[in-house]
Amino acid sequence: MPALMELLGMTQQQASHIYAVFRQDTKNDPHVHVGEVHATDAEMALVLAKEQFARREPCVNLWVVPMSAIAATAYDDADVFEPSTDKSYRFGGSYREQERVMRAKRRDQR
Amino acid sequence: MNLAQSPLSRRDDLRAALAGYLLALADDELILGHRHSEWTGFAPDIESDVALSSVAQEEIGHALLFYERAGDLLGGTPDDLAYGRSPEAFRNAVLLERPNGDWDFSIMRTFLYDRADAVRLDGLVGGPVESLADLAKTLRREEKYHLLYGEQWLRRLAAATPQSKQRVQAALDGAWAEAQGLFDPVEDQDDLVQAGAIRTGFDAQRRLWHGQVGAILESAGLRAPGAVTGRSAGFDGRVGRHTDDLRVLLEEMTSVRRTEPGAKW
Repeated sequence: MPALMELLGMTQQQASHIYAVFRQDTKNDPHVHVGEVHATDAEMALVLAKEQFARREPCVNLWVVPMSAIAATAYDDADVFEPSTDKSYRFGGSYREQERVMRAKRRDQR
Repeated sequence: MNLAQSPLSRRDDLRAALAGYLLALADDELILGHRHSEWTGFAPDIESDVALSSVAQEEIGHALLFYERAGDLLGGTPDDLAYGRSPEAFRNAVLLERPNGDWDFSIMRTFLYDRADAVRLDGLVGGPVESLADLAKTLRREEKYHLLYGEQWLRRLAAATPQSKQRVQAALDGAWAEAQGLFDPVEDQDDLVQAGAIRTGFDAQRRLWHGQVGAILESAGLRAPGAVTGRSAGFDGRVGRHTDDLRVLLEEMTSVRRTEPGAKW
C-alpha cells in the first residue's frame, strides 16, 4: 500500500512537518478531516490548528496526524471502487441525509 | 451592571484610581493588539499569521470591554477613549508600544506580557467588584490560548538552532527592563489594593510573575536576567510618561478616524 506522501510527491522530511487536522464538532460527532498545517511537531500543530480550523466552527476536540503516517489508496486504482454491476440498491443516500439532519440538531443542542 | 453603581467605585477617593487601573488594562490590550495586527501578512508562516491576527482581534476585543467599564466611571464611549486621547493620557506599559522588530522580540514580548496579564486577571477574579471579577474570569478563557501560543513559539525558537537561541536570548535581554514596568502601579493603585478591589499588591504580582516566567525561561534553556529595579530611562507608561513610539502608533491608528471626526460607520 503506498504512503500518501509518495502519492503527493513529498519527501519523508517534508511530510513529517505537515499535519492533517481532524476536527470534532460535538462529542457525538466523528472527527472530520478539515485540512493541514505546517508545524515543527505535533504539539505546535495543535496550537496552530486551533486558530486555523476551530475559530469559525464549533469544536470540542482536535486531532493532528503527520502526513508521513498516512497510508492511502492510489488514484490509479480508483476503479476498485467502481461496481461492475448495478449496486444502486446498496447506496446509502438516506443515511447521509439522516446524518446531515442529525448533525445540525446536535450542533443546536450544544 | 454599570460599574459606577458598585459600592466601591462610589467612594470618591477610589473612583479615579479604579478608572486609571481600568485604562491601564484596556490600553495594554489595545496597544499590544495593534502591534500584533501589524504582523498580519508578514508573520513567518501562514498558520502563525492567521493565529496571531486572531489573537490581535481578541486583545482589542478585551480592550473594548475594559474601556466600557472605564467609561462608566469617566464618561465617554470606548471609541472616545481609544481614539480620542493624547499619548500622555495612555496608561499602557512602555514595553507594549515598542515597534514589533523581529519575530523573536514579538514572541518574547507577548510571552512576557501574557504571563503578566494572567497574574493581573487572577488578582481581579474573586474580587469584590463583581462586574470586574466576572469579566476577568471570562477573559482568562481566551488568554489561555495567548499564553500557549507565545510559550510554544518561544520554546521552539529557544531549541531550533544556536542562532535562533541566541536571538531569542538577546530579545529577552532587551525586553527585560521594560517588562518590569508591566507591574508599575497607576496613581493610587495602593488604595485599590487596600480597599480589596485588587486582591494582590503590584509588588506581590511582580514577584509571582517573576517566578512563573523564570521557571519557563529556564526550562527552555534561556537565562532570565537578574532583577531590575529602576525604570528604564525615566519612562513609565502607567503615569503617562511614554516613548515617542506611542505617539507614532496613535497617529497611525487614529488617522482614519481623524479624517472624518464623528462619522458613522
